[in-house]
Amino acid sequence: MTQPTKTTLGFDFILRSLKTTGILLLLCLVFVSPYAGFYTALAIMSAGIWSMINLYFLVALVRAAIRPGQLDKIQVAVLAFVKFPLLYLAGYFLLKIEVFGLLPLLIGFSLPLAVVVLKVVSRVLLGMDNTPTNNQLNEAL
Amino acid sequence: MEHFGSMLALAAPLGLGLAAVGSAYGIGRAVGSAMEAMGRQPEAAGKIQVAMIIGAAFIEALTIYVFIAYFVAMGKLG
Repeated sequence: MTQPTKTTLGFDFILRSLKTTGILLLLCLVFVSPYAGFYTALAIMSAGIWSMINLYFLVALVRAAIRPGQLDKIQVAVLAFVKFPLLYLAGYFLLKIEVFGLLPLLIGFSLPLAVVVLKVVSRVLLGMDNTPTNNQLNEAL
Repeated sequence: MEHFGSMLALAAPLGLGLAAVGSAYGIGRAVGSAMEAMGRQPEAAGKIQVAMIIGAAFIEALTIYVFIAYFVAMGKLG
């Protein structure tokens, strides 16, 4: 019998959340499009992708800026430039596009965060981060 | 009701500004506390960073929501 792999709440947790969001966005595009229209699905997809890129760059920026040892200033500057002016400008243009409704954009922007919340809630409910207390260890022995 | 448009025109940017200030304060506190915690427990830096990033993303999302609400209000103004 194979042991289930223990997942941790590290950086891989965010990457897994981004992967789940990507799959969810593809499903949204397939299933929302026939019911609510192509532009609604496209708005959710665009805002979701924007939010995913935003979260990815936030992780990259924090990892590049906060680490022991020598700081790569050029890498930090490039990441900060892409994350703040460029990505926010792209978000502004998404909001300015007339055919995209604000509600689908809001759903798209929230999707990665909803995935993170649901993943954390499931971890708590399943007790994946519980460490056994001394009493429990004594009882087990 | 005749002054509704003018009040909205004043309140919407003011609210957006307040939200930005609140978010900046929130992110500042979150990152500051995370730095302190990492200084105290360097071995837990990875976990603290992840918690900090998720917190920062949520705070940032709140500002985006306010920005969208601002667009809705501006749409009402015409």
